[in-house]
Amino acid sequence: MTTSAADYLRRLGSDRRPDLPDTTAGTLRLDVREDGHTEHWYLTIADQRVQVTRSADEADLVVRADRAVFDQLATGQLHPAEAMERNEATVQGDIRLFMLLRRIFPGPAGARHPRKAAGKRSGPR
Amino acid sequence: MKQERVSVIAGNAFATSDAQGDMEVDPRAPVGLFSFDTRFLSHWVLRVDGERLKALSRDDMTYFETRFFLVPGKASHYVDADVSVIRHRSLDDSFNERIIVLNHSPEPAELTVRMEMGSDFADLAEISRPRHRDITVTADIVSGQLRLCYERARFSREAIVSSTAPVDVDRRGMTFRIRLAPQGQWETDLHISMTVRGEGGRDMRADLTTHRHHVRREMREDLRDWLDRAPQLVAEREPLARMYRGSLTDLAALRYQPLSYPDRILIGGLPWATSLYGRDSIVACLQTLPFTPELTPATLRMLALLQGGQLDDAHDEEPGKIVTELRYGEAAAFGDQPTSLYYGAADTTPLFVVLLDEYERWSGDATLVRQLRHPARMALDWIDEYGDLTGDGYLRYQSRNTRDGTVNQSWKDSDGAIVDRHGRQPDLPRATCELQGYAYDAKRRGARLAREFWGDPAYADRLEREAAELKRRFNRDFWLPRRECYALALGPDGEPVDALASNMGHLMWSGIVEDERAAAVADQLVGPDLFSGWGVRTFAAGQRPYNPVGSHLGAVWPSDNALIAAGLRRYGHDVQAGRVIGGIFDMAQTLGGPVPEVIAGYPRDLTKYPVQLPVAGRPQAWSSGALLMLLATALGLTPCGENLLVDPALPDGFGRIELLDVPGRWGHADAYGRDRSAGEPGRRRLH
Repeated sequence: MTTSAADYLRRLGSDRRPDLPDTTAGTLRLDVREDGHTEHWYLTIADQRVQVTRSADEADLVVRADRAVFDQLATGQLHPAEAMERNEATVQGDIRLFMLLRRIFPGPAGARHPRKAAGKRSGPR
Repeated sequence: MKQERVSVIAGNAFATSDAQGDMEVDPRAPVGLFSFDTRFLSHWVLRVDGERLKALSRDDMTYFETRFFLVPGKASHYVDADVSVIRHRSLDDSFNERIIVLNHSPEPAELTVRMEMGSDFADLAEISRPRHRDITVTADIVSGQLRLCYERARFSREAIVSSTAPVDVDRRGMTFRIRLAPQGQWETDLHISMTVRGEGGRDMRADLTTHRHHVRREMREDLRDWLDRAPQLVAEREPLARMYRGSLTDLAALRYQPLSYPDRILIGGLPWATSLYGRDSIVACLQTLPFTPELTPATLRMLALLQGGQLDDAHDEEPGKIVTELRYGEAAAFGDQPTSLYYGAADTTPLFVVLLDEYERWSGDATLVRQLRHPARMALDWIDEYGDLTGDGYLRYQSRNTRDGTVNQSWKDSDGAIVDRHGRQPDLPRATCELQGYAYDAKRRGARLAREFWGDPAYADRLEREAAELKRRFNRDFWLPRRECYALALGPDGEPVDALASNMGHLMWSGIVEDERAAAVADQLVGPDLFSGWGVRTFAAGQRPYNPVGSHLGAVWPSDNALIAAGLRRYGHDVQAGRVIGGIFDMAQTLGGPVPEVIAGYPRDLTKYPVQLPVAGRPQAWSSGALLMLLATALGLTPCGENLLVDPALPDGFGRIELLDVPGRWGHADAYGRDRSAGEPGRRRLH
C-alpha cells in the first residue's frame, strides 16, 4: 500500500505529538513540484502540534522537491537528510526545522524495535 | 620510508600534499583537497620548465596556512639556485595558493610554469579504491578558469580554479609563460572554490583577491580571539605551556560550521573523521569545559536537532537516540553507507545527558537546560525503552543493519574489540561495562536536572531509585571477585566476559564503582599489565588477544586515559592518577605536535619512544581535548556551587603552574598548583 505525501498531510490531525520538542515552534512550507506546477503545503508547528493548511505564504523554512521525493519521504522510504544531501530536496531558511520532517512523517515500514530484533540471538560474526 | 604529508585545515575542509606541496592520488591516504567528505582536487602538481621541484624548507605558519620554499630539480641534483619558487597556501572556505617565482641571476629568464590539475571527486569513504566517475572538465580560455564538475542526478560538486595572472588554460591544468627581469619576480594567486550545490546562497563570484585576503585575516583574528578567550597557562616548564597552546590551536583547527547549525562544532579529526562524530564531540566537550566552554552549547543543540525520531533498521535509529556519525559524501547521500546519519552507538545517548548536566555545573546556563528538557527526557527514556535489549536492566547493543552496521557500539568499536581473556567473542546483544556506568551517571544527573530545573521531583526520585538499583545490580553481576576486577561485558544471558581492560577506568569516572573496590581497580589500572608507562592500555598484556598495535586490544588512547585519570581522582587515588597524567604528557612532549589518537601499547622502558600507529590520525578533537582534561584533573578543577574548587595533585616534574581566568559561573577564577618537588628549595627542576 502506498500513501502519497498529499494524502498523508491531508489526514494529519492536529493532535498533540509528544515526540515533537515542546520548545520548537515555526512554520514550514513544502513546495511540491509536479509537471511544471507547484503545490504548497503549509505546516505551523507549535506546542507539539502540527497545523496543516494550503498556502504559499512565506515560512521560516521552505523545502522544495519533486512530488515523487515527497512521496518517498512520506512513506519513510527516504531519509530527509539523504534527500537533502542528494540535492533532491532543497531547503531555504531556518534549516533547523528541517529535521522535524523526520518526526512528522513516519519511519520506514517494517523497521523493528531493537528488543524484538535482538530476540533472534546471533553469534559473533 | 613513509612519505611526509603536509596538511592545512579549516574545520571539515583540508588539503594534504607531499613536502613539495604537490598532490597525487595515493590509495593509502587521503591526499588532495577535501571539503564536506568530497575530494575536490586529486591532482595538483607544479613544474618549472617541465621539472618537478625540490623542497628546501617549509614554514607551517598556522593550521590553515603553509609556505613551501622550493627549487627546480630532483633531490639528487646539485642545487643551482638561479631560480626559486615559493608556494604560499591557505585554506578557508576556499583553497588559495600564491606562486612566487624568483630569479636570482643577473640575467633575464624565460620560464614555463605549469600546474597540473585534476579531480576524481572521490568520497572520503572510498579513498583506497575510488570508483570511476565521469567528470566534466571545462577549460574556459576567455576567463582563464578551469572548471571540474561531477554530477549524479541532482547531486553536484564543482571545483573552479582561477588565476590572477594571465594564463593558458587547458583541460589538464594551467600554463604560465613568464619572463623575469634580472633579480626579478613573478607571482600569481590560484584560487579554488568548492561548491556543494544545493547548499544555497553561497556567492562564488566574489572578487577573488580581496575576498581571500579578507577571509584569511579573519581566520587569524579568529584564532587569536579563541586563544585569548581560553585560560592562560603560566608554567615553570616551558613544554607544558607549549603543549597547552598546541592543543587549543588544534581544537581551533577542527571547528566547522555544519550545514544545519549556525555555530561551530568539532569534527572528529584528521584525516578520516572530518565530520561530526557524536561520541568524539561529546567527549571532547566534556574534556574542554574549563577551557573552551563555547563548544558545548552548540554541540548539545546540534545533537538534539539530529536526535533519532523513528525506528529505522538501516540507520540503527530509534526515537531519542543521539547520532554517532554525520556525513555529507556521496556514499552517505545515496545510502551506499548508512552514514548520512548513523545512530549505531549505545553510549552517545547517556553521554548527551551527562554533558548537559556537566555543562550547567560549569556555566550556570539554566536556560539551555530548560530548552533541552525534551531531548534530554527522550534520551533518558531511550536508555530503558530501546537500550535495554534483553529486559535485564542493562544497556546493550546489537546492530539491526547486518550489512554495514557497527558490531561494537561503544567507544571500542572495532569488530574484535570485545573479547574475553582467551579471545572468545560473546554473543549479541552485548552489555559492555562502561555503558552501565554511563547509564548510571546519566540517571543521577538527569535526576538533578529534573529536580532543580524541570520542576519534576517525582521523576527525579524515580531516576535516583533506578540509578541506585543499577549500581547495586551492576556490582553484583559484573564484579569478578577472584580477579578483583569488573568484567569487560556481559553476554546475552548475563555470562561475564572476563577480560581485564581499560573500560574499568570509565566506571570510576562515572562513579558506579563501590568505594571498597576502588583501590583494587585503581591498582589494576596502573599495574604492569594495563599500564605501559605512557598510559593505560585498552587491553591488558598477558591475555591471549593482547596486541600492542591492536587499536582496542592493547594500544593506548589519550582520550581513554583522560577519563581514567579523572575517575582515579574522583575516588581519591591521586598517585595512580598522577602516573597516568605524567605518562600521557611525557608521550605528547616526546612526540611533539598534535596529540595522536592512539599509540602502540609497547612497554615504555622497552621502546623508550612512543611508537605511533599508521591508523592514528592527528589532530584529533578528543586527543587534543584529552591533554586539557588531564591538566584540569591534575589541578583538581571542580565546580562547587557558585565557586571553582581547586585541589591540585600534580605529577612530579610538572613544577609550578598557574591557570589564569578559568571561565564559569563564577566569572573568571585562577588556579595554582605545584608538584611535590617544586615546594622544596634546591630540588626545583630547571629547564
